[in-house]
Amino acid sequence: MDNKTIETISYLARLKLDKDKKEKITKDLENIINFVAELQDLDTKDIAPLANPLEKVAPKREDSVTSKSRKEAFLSNSPESDQDYFMVPKVVE
Amino acid sequence: MSWETVIGLEVHAQLSTNTKLFSSASTKFGSEPNTQVDLVDLGLPGVLPVVNKDAFKKAIRFGLAIDAEINQESTFDRKNYFYPDLPKGYQITQMSKPIVEGGSIDIDVGEDKKTINITRAHLEEDAGKSIHDAYPDKSVIDLNRAGTPLLEIVSEPEISNAKEAVSYMKALHQLVTFLDVCDGDMSQGSLRCDANVSIRKIGDLELGTRTEIKNINSFKFIEKAINFEIKRQIKVLESGGKVTQETRLYDSGKDETRPMRSKEFANDYRYFPDPDLLPVVISDDEMEEIKSTFPELPGDKSKRYISEFQIDESEAEIISSSRELSNFFEVAVGSKNDPKLAANLIVGEIGSLLNKDSIKIDESQLTSDNFNVLLQRISDGTISKKIAKTILAEIWETGRNADEIIDDQGLVQIQDENLLEEVITKVIESNTKQVEDYKNGKDKLFGFFVGQVMKETQGKANPQAVNDLLKKALNS
Repeated sequence: MDNKTIETISYLARLKLDKDKKEKITKDLENIINFVAELQDLDTKDIAPLANPLEKVAPKREDSVTSKSRKEAFLSNSPESDQDYFMVPKVVE
Repeated sequence: MSWETVIGLEVHAQLSTNTKLFSSASTKFGSEPNTQVDLVDLGLPGVLPVVNKDAFKKAIRFGLAIDAEINQESTFDRKNYFYPDLPKGYQITQMSKPIVEGGSIDIDVGEDKKTINITRAHLEEDAGKSIHDAYPDKSVIDLNRAGTPLLEIVSEPEISNAKEAVSYMKALHQLVTFLDVCDGDMSQGSLRCDANVSIRKIGDLELGTRTEIKNINSFKFIEKAINFEIKRQIKVLESGGKVTQETRLYDSGKDETRPMRSKEFANDYRYFPDPDLLPVVISDDEMEEIKSTFPELPGDKSKRYISEFQIDESEAEIISSSRELSNFFEVAVGSKNDPKLAANLIVGEIGSLLNKDSIKIDESQLTSDNFNVLLQRISDGTISKKIAKTILAEIWETGRNADEIIDDQGLVQIQDENLLEEVITKVIESNTKQVEDYKNGKDKLFGFFVGQVMKETQGKANPQAVNDLLKKALNS
């Protein structure tokens, strides 16, 4: 787990790491990965990938509208909004 | 140096369901912003997505139509990235086990057909809409579209030029609209495409570096964007440069593609199975139900129209190629109208009115009921086919009832033989020279006399009666 990997992961997660915490986190992540890595030794050749640990299938919903607008509640709970929209810092591609 | 182009298309079709893929909020287009948002669409903690049965039905119907493999057990994954119009910070999609795999679509290439293989078609949710020009220093977000079901249809890189890409898109458009999988409205973004374009020297086996042009939403722009991109890549390579693998946007105003602002890091979506969603299993019974409600496709429709109604092949093809026109035609013949007459008017007069206004039949003022009235009045001899065209034009403008127009404007056909004979006598008397020529063998002049009679009667004379009576009068 080198410094660059840690930086990439924290960037992708949008987390800013303090310098002193970075070292600790690097060590923690290494420990976690080493622990889980034991699984790599198992022979899984004839085992189908497990999509979900619950051995159940998804319930399906009928296609009818039951949800009502809660626009005012949603907008007023957001950090910033006008009367119609959520507002965010300018993002232009 | 000679280059060849390799294109693969990823088409996003918005499924025409009432509700979203994972929530029961409406998917209606054009509503007031942020009124069709559910807790699930907002990604609030403690809520769970529940799949929409009809979204699966529609995806499977598409898979059956292209003769693909249907995965009766499929799963969902998370595609992780941050963007303000994606509230959860990930998009739910089908990465590892999509609902549809394989299959193919035939496209028209000039007079020939070409088969384009389909890699996969998977279900995923759409993002919300960002608006960047409402405020100088803010972007605003409308989440009405967030969570709308999409079917992403991925083709193999087997498309060889921009024209083929358009042809593929048109074939897909026809298919999804007939299947009632998607409304096909490209101007509303219901069907949009990303084009992966690369070039290589003719004979090379390896593919060149590709660029991806995002979100092209009209047939015309597909052709223009791809052609621009091919030219650009050739220029880069011929001047000794390298094509950079990147995502580009097509600017229709400038007719060019340009790179989207490059990210600091390459995209890393860190796909993993969505723990909120169990595998979706479609039972054999459900498959049977979907098969039993499979709609008739254009090719079969056209054949049936020819054998069942004896209409012209070319008319059958035109009518069956559009879902709206074929519905319109089927209502007309279903009401016991003359199929040939109906087909003739739909392809001829109505077709040119539709072209003139660039609209679909169900956006016009002509209703099926009114068309029925018009067809009946032609069949029962009240009006001539010629007058019917005048009436159609009036309906087109005003939407008025055909019978009303006939009454108001006195357009009832003249069948009365005495009256017609009177007109014919008048025409013969005032065109003695032509009568003489006709009698001396100039048969072609017959049409001239018919024309004169029609003129005298403002087109209201029954053509068959005019023919019979004129012949009698001229040959006497």
